[in-house]
Amino acid sequence: MNIEKIIEPYIEIQGGLIPALHAVQNDTGYLDIQSIKTIADGFNISTAEVIDVITYYDDFRLEKEGQYIIKVCQAEACQSLGCRALLDTLKHHFELNSGETSNDHLVTLKEVFCLGNCALSPSVMINEDIIGRASSEKILAYLSEKKNNSNND
Amino acid sequence: MTDQIKIYIPKETSACSVGSELIAEKITDLAQGHKHISIIRNGSWGAFWLEPFIEIEKNGNRKGTSYLNKKISHLSSIEELFDDFYNSNPFNIMDIDFIKHQTRLVFSRIGLYDPLDLNQYRNSHGYKGLEKSFEIGQQQTIDEIKKSGLNGRGGAAFPTAIKMQTVLDQESTIKYVACNADEGDGGTFSDRLIMECDPYSLIEGMTIAAYSVGANHGYIYLRSEYPLAKYFLTEAIKILKSHNLLGKNILGTNFSFDIELRIGAGSYVCGEETAMMESIEGKRGLVRSKPPLPAIKGLFNQPTLINNVITLASMSVILLHGKEIFSQFGSGKSVGTMPYQLCGNIKQGGLIEVPFGITLNEMIYDFGAGTFNEKPIHAVQIGGPLGIYLPAYLLNTPLTIEALMDLKGSLGHGGVIVFDDSTNMALQAKFAMDFCAVESCGKCTPCRIGSVRGVELIDKIYNGTAVKADRILLEELCETMETTSLCAMGGMTPNPVRSIIKYFPNEMIV
Repeated sequence: MNIEKIIEPYIEIQGGLIPALHAVQNDTGYLDIQSIKTIADGFNISTAEVIDVITYYDDFRLEKEGQYIIKVCQAEACQSLGCRALLDTLKHHFELNSGETSNDHLVTLKEVFCLGNCALSPSVMINEDIIGRASSEKILAYLSEKKNNSNND
Repeated sequence: MTDQIKIYIPKETSACSVGSELIAEKITDLAQGHKHISIIRNGSWGAFWLEPFIEIEKNGNRKGTSYLNKKISHLSSIEELFDDFYNSNPFNIMDIDFIKHQTRLVFSRIGLYDPLDLNQYRNSHGYKGLEKSFEIGQQQTIDEIKKSGLNGRGGAAFPTAIKMQTVLDQESTIKYVACNADEGDGGTFSDRLIMECDPYSLIEGMTIAAYSVGANHGYIYLRSEYPLAKYFLTEAIKILKSHNLLGKNILGTNFSFDIELRIGAGSYVCGEETAMMESIEGKRGLVRSKPPLPAIKGLFNQPTLINNVITLASMSVILLHGKEIFSQFGSGKSVGTMPYQLCGNIKQGGLIEVPFGITLNEMIYDFGAGTFNEKPIHAVQIGGPLGIYLPAYLLNTPLTIEALMDLKGSLGHGGVIVFDDSTNMALQAKFAMDFCAVESCGKCTPCRIGSVRGVELIDKIYNGTAVKADRILLEELCETMETTSLCAMGGMTPNPVRSIIKYFPNEMIV
């Protein structure tokens, strides 16, 4: 969909920039410089002002990320049941550091703080699915099942 | 004729995180073609160790059992499922101590039915609170909240009615209500549970708040980490609009109120009310200095009532039952019930709504049944990342706002996280500073730079390279952050650090 169309409803509302950024990113996967320029024009602000907002928030991405964004919770409740070791295992398995994306753009590994699933720690979020009582085995099984399903489609 | 059978399968984040969706798919398959069976996607009871907790209601008799370790993929018919279910000793959730010993006022409906079923909500006194509010008028509604003793449940525990009165007293024709649903504290999920399992109670409370202060537009600022809450709120708002419970002339009165759902973008500090306003306005989430108070000059420079999810949902309860429903419990600032969230290394974690005053011991052992991995408890953190760590010998501490303040901590949003004896407390102290360094909005120096210096100093202690002067420097740094930071982020980050120095001195040796 074209960017102008996507952001149109948000220009009308007060403080519509962040919802507009979400909408564009949901559609295109990340915010490239061309989209940013279009958004800036639409909102009648400078590209610097748009980038200023984008770079403040962890959710907004300036580069293409993996098909599966794996967010490993590193907050206190998950710490109490070994989330630091879990992150290390995943880093080792994917050969990625936090914040990095694999070369084939399949996986992005991220650290986050609290997914609100603290009674079933440790928690991991893959795209919009949350995995409780997470282990590296559980996460890899989840990914291979997703991959199988998408191959069968 | 065959009797109707209802199968309840929770659609709630924690339940889904341990397989609830797959079970729902399978059971839906098995139930196909059986007209006497209906599948209800209810909320969670908040007894998370039981999830996915599947219930079957037959002849008005509702029983459930945990499917956490049960395999159902091999079952080939619905009869086999029933056999399997009734052979696994199902019980009524109301009969277990974890639920029986709670006083659920704000969380009275969670788990009962499909959270989007508006008929069920109205049949269980839904919107009676708003009707009452319309009947007694704006000032009396605020008076009722005032006499109930309700304090904000977001963390700061500020008297709710004072904010409401301030907004009502402003002359402005445009006013806003903003619901702070940016529940970012590690170890908390009560807001999420209300939004996913009883969204109408939040929206009714918000409508009461809006009516009482004279606001016609509301925002819910929801963190992006809660996609299921987003789904439920979006649907709830749509349904309420189509039933004239949001929008123009609500319930036939001349009061109109709309709600816009805004999604955050992964910033902890946007849970601070002034940063939240900046974010709603479409800017970087930088903290504003106060005054002006948001109640006088808030969103888009207009008077704004900002409340947490639980605070707003509590308003529905108080208006429905009257102020005594809260004021009968507790004393001082700690009045009413508090939804505690027991989590971390705990066997039976979940949502525990009880009157203020329960001790950590009662919570962890009577409700929680001890640690998940059976190891001894070493520390408990209360009130999120800005909260203090207490040692095992202080588990007789009552969980009241005052008791935590006396210990130089804060009850915050009511999260209680349990840690076992393998925990390295110096590492926890370092994390407190590290979290602040990552999440600081960067506006004020003590928070932005102090946290980085804090990480470096604690690192030295952790590595054994610290000298005496470093210990003094850390103390001074804590004091500087506490006294000169713009908001609680920098101002309270020293709390967990200081509590570890005080209660776990052998683990922070210089």
